[in-house]
Amino acid sequence: MKKSKQSFHRVSSYLVLLFLVFTTIVLQRANAQAKSEKLIISGTVTDNNNQSLAGANVAIKGKKTVAVTDAGGKFSVDVFKGDVLVISYVNMTPAEIVAEKSGPIEIKLQTQDKLLEEVVIVGYSSKKAKYLSSAVSTVSGDKLRDVTSNNLASLLQGKAPGVLVSSASGDPTSGSNILIRGAGTISAGSGPLVVVDGNIGGTYNPSDVESVTILKDAAATGLYGSRAGNGVMIITTKSGKAGKSKIEFSSVVGLNNATTGNFKLMNSRQLFDYLSSFSTPDPAMVNTNTNWWDLTFRQSLTQNYTLSASGGNDKTQYYISGNLYKEEGTLIENDKTAHNFRTNLTHRFSNKLKLSVLLNGIYTKDKYNPEGGLYQAYTYLPFDAAYGTDGRPVDSRYVQWYGRDQSNYLYSMQYNSSNARSFNLSSDVNIDYTITRHLSFATYNRASFFDYSSRSFYDKRSQGGATNGGELYNSESFSKTFVSSNRLRYENSFGNHNIAVLAVGEATQSAYDVLSTSVKGLPPGRPFASTATAVINVPTGGRNEYSFHKYLAQADYNFANKYFAVASFVRDRSSRFGNNNSAANFYQLGASWIATTENFMKGINAINFLKLRISYGTTGNAEIGDYASLGLYSLSTSSSYAGQPGAAPSQKANPNLTWEKQKAANIGIDITLLKRIELSVDVYQKTAEDLLYRKPLPATTGYSFIFENVGSVRNRGIEFSLTTKNIMKRDFTWETNLNMAFNRNKVLSLNAGALYSNPGAAQPIGVGYDMDAWNLPVWAGVDPSNGDPLWEKVVMDANGKKYVTYTNNYNSVANATSRQYLGKSSAPKFSGGISNTITYKGFTLSAFMNFVYGNYVYNDTRFYYDNDGNYDSYNSMVFPKEWTRWQKAGDIATHPRALPGGNKLSNASSSRYLEDGSYIRLRNITLGYNLPTNFLEKMKISSARVFISGDNLWTGTNFSGPDPEVVLSSGVSSFRYPTSKKILFGLSVSF
Amino acid sequence: MYNYKSIILAVTLVLLLSACKKNFEPSTAIDENSALTNAADIETATIGTYAVLRNPAYVRSSHFLMEYPGDEIAQGQNSSDDLSRAYRYNHITTSGHATNFWVQSYFVIGAANKIIAAIPDNSSADLRQLKGENLFLRAMMHFNLVRVFGRPYPQNSGDNPGIPVLKEDLTEEQKLTISRSKVKDVYASVIADLTNAADMMTLPKANPFASRQVANALLARIYLYMENNDKAIEFANKVINSGNYSLLSQSEFPNYFKMAPEGNSETIFCIRHTKTEDQDFSAIGSMYYSGDANGNPAGQAQSGWGEIYASKKYYDFLSTNPADKRQSFLSPYRINGVLQYNTRLTPNTPMYYINKYNLQEGIINLSSPVYIRLAEMYLIRAEANAKLGNAQLALDDVNLIRQRSGLSGTALHTVASIALSSKSVLDVVLEERWLELAFEGHRAYDLFRNGRSVVRNYPGTHALNVTPNNINQTITAADNRVVFFIPESERAKNPNLTQNP
Repeated sequence: MKKSKQSFHRVSSYLVLLFLVFTTIVLQRANAQAKSEKLIISGTVTDNNNQSLAGANVAIKGKKTVAVTDAGGKFSVDVFKGDVLVISYVNMTPAEIVAEKSGPIEIKLQTQDKLLEEVVIVGYSSKKAKYLSSAVSTVSGDKLRDVTSNNLASLLQGKAPGVLVSSASGDPTSGSNILIRGAGTISAGSGPLVVVDGNIGGTYNPSDVESVTILKDAAATGLYGSRAGNGVMIITTKSGKAGKSKIEFSSVVGLNNATTGNFKLMNSRQLFDYLSSFSTPDPAMVNTNTNWWDLTFRQSLTQNYTLSASGGNDKTQYYISGNLYKEEGTLIENDKTAHNFRTNLTHRFSNKLKLSVLLNGIYTKDKYNPEGGLYQAYTYLPFDAAYGTDGRPVDSRYVQWYGRDQSNYLYSMQYNSSNARSFNLSSDVNIDYTITRHLSFATYNRASFFDYSSRSFYDKRSQGGATNGGELYNSESFSKTFVSSNRLRYENSFGNHNIAVLAVGEATQSAYDVLSTSVKGLPPGRPFASTATAVINVPTGGRNEYSFHKYLAQADYNFANKYFAVASFVRDRSSRFGNNNSAANFYQLGASWIATTENFMKGINAINFLKLRISYGTTGNAEIGDYASLGLYSLSTSSSYAGQPGAAPSQKANPNLTWEKQKAANIGIDITLLKRIELSVDVYQKTAEDLLYRKPLPATTGYSFIFENVGSVRNRGIEFSLTTKNIMKRDFTWETNLNMAFNRNKVLSLNAGALYSNPGAAQPIGVGYDMDAWNLPVWAGVDPSNGDPLWEKVVMDANGKKYVTYTNNYNSVANATSRQYLGKSSAPKFSGGISNTITYKGFTLSAFMNFVYGNYVYNDTRFYYDNDGNYDSYNSMVFPKEWTRWQKAGDIATHPRALPGGNKLSNASSSRYLEDGSYIRLRNITLGYNLPTNFLEKMKISSARVFISGDNLWTGTNFSGPDPEVVLSSGVSSFRYPTSKKILFGLSVSF
Repeated sequence: MYNYKSIILAVTLVLLLSACKKNFEPSTAIDENSALTNAADIETATIGTYAVLRNPAYVRSSHFLMEYPGDEIAQGQNSSDDLSRAYRYNHITTSGHATNFWVQSYFVIGAANKIIAAIPDNSSADLRQLKGENLFLRAMMHFNLVRVFGRPYPQNSGDNPGIPVLKEDLTEEQKLTISRSKVKDVYASVIADLTNAADMMTLPKANPFASRQVANALLARIYLYMENNDKAIEFANKVINSGNYSLLSQSEFPNYFKMAPEGNSETIFCIRHTKTEDQDFSAIGSMYYSGDANGNPAGQAQSGWGEIYASKKYYDFLSTNPADKRQSFLSPYRINGVLQYNTRLTPNTPMYYINKYNLQEGIINLSSPVYIRLAEMYLIRAEANAKLGNAQLALDDVNLIRQRSGLSGTALHTVASIALSSKSVLDVVLEERWLELAFEGHRAYDLFRNGRSVVRNYPGTHALNVTPNNINQTITAADNRVVFFIPESERAKNPNLTQNP
């Protein structure tokens, strides 16, 4: 209660401050109004084919509509000299005309092929989308920001085909995973390479993002060579435009609630009755009924405020913005606050020399629940009272406590704290110099700094801090990365032949330092190291470094903007690889053809645009840590003994370790039909070879693993994006976008004829199977005669023929013979998103859903709350409708007889806890309203929009836990922090 | 002009980049090629070998596997930790603790083998000492492994599957595909290593480290387990007569596990944990004790989980002699003099906390688990004499241990007194081992290697899998679960490892 009151105070003070800023701006602008000469302008509006357009809008820029064309496409308006007329028509590119003199004019509007005409930034160059030979997806900043989050990956979920975003947690301080076109790596990183504003790495805030371009095939990603194997995500931040200065403000405030899906824990009575069915619990227990889930989760607040200014003249342009994002977790004592500042400046010294300076600072504060909270919410018993009669949390150490941990975490939470803060500073200096008409040079340079510190404090009054009289853990780290990329570009045209050649040399160097300390014996409420009396452990710290050096050349050719070809070559070297193999070469080829430019297509009116694309190339993956190839003795506190420093073997050498290589082929088609339907389809095959793999070794080798390049994995898939303009009326439009991706993964080979790369694991990576396929002892249900758990046991007869028997002995099935592939994988069969946008006059209604289908999730938490009596000091879940418990001989049940101490290892790892993880989620629904311009005009506001929006309001799934979403590559759901449902109110104003 | 400019630019660009090519070495690790090149580095690496013992995955997991099958402890409530399975004998092939123990043991062996291979036998005394210490560690690991995964030596004279034996001369391929040696062959290899180690170790070392008498002490234990009683006596005598060790006095004895180990004259070898190596709730002692730093017990989860207690069977037996100083290693949890019970099971389990793994140097959960101490040498000699029919010699050693614990008069045994109570000399020796070495990982194995059963008829979770609310459990020496399963994850990586039935 008190909590939410405080946050509303904070919100209101922000709002007051911002309101003052506006009013000032508005008043100044109102005074600056001036009148000039009056003109009468008349004209005719036509389309491409000289057909007159009836019902086209004629407006004065920044004001309300002043006229609509008649049946002959004619209009007449009164304006002041210098006003800008904006003539618009549905699905046409609007035209702007400056009113200079009275009289008739003719306006021809062009059909809008917005996506195709858009300029896409692809790595080291930018091109119109229609001239690209490769598979890319672009998502504009506005499309991204329908969902409210400070995490770009989360915003991308479901918005681009083949880009699979999944998140393990609804914690606002945690991130999401991105997987492009299936997993093709075992032990190396699987996330795409991030490129911000033209250079590898860098920082950004979602509020400043102009667009995100995802490069998927080798022709596009290839220039990033050794680091492009997982795809590339290119982020472009906003920049100023010459002309009128613009000030924009937006505010989004809303409430969050945890999703609970099909999941419910037992209350006191339910649990007591359940326990009574197989034991004799203390009848007094039922007098207390605590709902720990409800005590752990709350309704919380999300706030997002952005203020920006942009503009400039022909020589200099600027974009300056500030953003405050604060999201409270639905879990108590958990929140994130992020402050972002960005300045992007561009200055032209001459026609030849352009300088760009980009500065971005992000300051983030994360607050974590010091006790975790999730484990407690899922497992604590309703029999234990959280609060005493005085309304204060009970100190569980001095009362009867039934739960396993003898701990009321709400008591300890009063005194303990855990938080982190980080500061990111990224500064770019880019120079573009035109040497001659055909030759230009560019240097892109960036220095990034990252400072992080975390602090966990366990007060001596709390249970966790009592043993040591208070504990404090501090960690500080600092990293710096320098990138310099130098580019020489030659462009020329010879008749219809256009060529461009690019040569690039690039170096990256990075270092990371860390220091962690732990102290004890601190006075209550003093989380500072100097107040401590002793150390808990010896401090730890160290430094990591890596470097990359890259050279590349690319040649780009097109004939009459009809036929396109691109070829490139990259040589890359990294300190991360073995001395014998530290450099590698990559090459890429691509071609495309715009069929609609051919004469024979001219007659086919239904097809407005048709392009075929094809590409092939190689890329790499180097995300494996900095020293993976070295044979090492570790020098650390864990290798010291009896107060003396020691060194213990920690890593087996592999001087031959090298890049993981991806060979990728892509065929694509882009087509526009009837000016209403835009379809892009891509078919691809990616084969990863020399997979970087942290291969487990038997302990008899003296090591637990070695990094090796092993075998190959293939991903094949098809993905499409379909946009349809269902209704295109002047005041009423409806647009639908559907994107879907189908990916199939198969392990083709492993080294030395091995069948599994991680034998015995639940996902062992077996030759011939999906690398995320589950391989587990198979649960065979419950023996109706006695309620025993049953598993499938695979037995081989004398002739070597395998057959299946059933057993209640888990140990006889937990082995290589009886583990079976179930045809179930943690990777989805398909995934995607569908969005609908409807506009009616000033109103916009949009709904966006994302879905994954056919993936299986190991619901690990059921081990704790669905275990047939194994843990009577944990709470249990309420069975969904279809589940039943064996009670008496003859019962056909899904769950074994409950027994104290559990029923024959029934909760051990098997296919029992494997569940269908398919889901469809209403990621966002927004109803927005653009305030009428005549109303805004009086306040000199050029546009204003209000909206109400809901994130994740509905999820359809059969999953038995609170939230079906998991990190799809791991497929394990364990003490899931549920995704937040948010209801948000927003306002954005532009001057 | 045009070409000239572009060439300059291109060249600058290339120079800029090639200037900073380099390789990096990690700051907290050294390259293996330079790790064992001189005596000082070899000493550093030897420290690293010992350090593995301190890893909870070794010291804690091995404690659970060796101690929890005994009848001096009682688990008062179900636990989600795999440790319950060691206690309840419902083993699983994917046991986390068995895997930890196996893996860490072979890490020690692997690290030791590198050093053993790096030191020629004719080196200086310093280097020979280090080689001996690594030989000792290798032997100790093999011996503990065969104890946990192989059947007791007296069963079938060691002709049962043991564990893989790793020597320093194996190829990489052999290490990947090695099979289990027989129990008797493991013993033979361990004896050879220890004999060799005792010969090489000539320098004095504090008890966290190996030295000649440490190797001899382990040999005495091994010969006893093999029922080579003469050799057991011979090596026990070497240690007892070395003059390096003495039993703590009656007054020092209750503080045995609270003092810093180096000052303890009775400890032969321990796994040293310094003040900054407290494992807190993950320590062995956290399972046994919860209370304050002065040793006053309190409710569960105050300083430790406190869910494993001394069994009622052990407590009652120890209490037959109220003067017995060994009672000070128990901290029964009482409130206003009333004994507390863990009520999660029916019948309830009395909360007899154990403090042998707590309160070292005033830190609640700190301890340096003792691997061998002098009292065991006397009891080894006593057991061997009992088996050789030297009744009086056996009872002399037993009484020495009893006197040290404050017992006297009729509390001491005579040949006549034990005949009256119809016990054998061996019965009395084994009882004394139980009283003296309780919670130190000996009991279950002492019974099994002597062909006796573990009998648990006292409150605890042990029999829950048989019938609800039954507290009776008997495990015979012939039971399959006297040994643990070979970790399934290791079998998956090396199919030549056969499984125990």
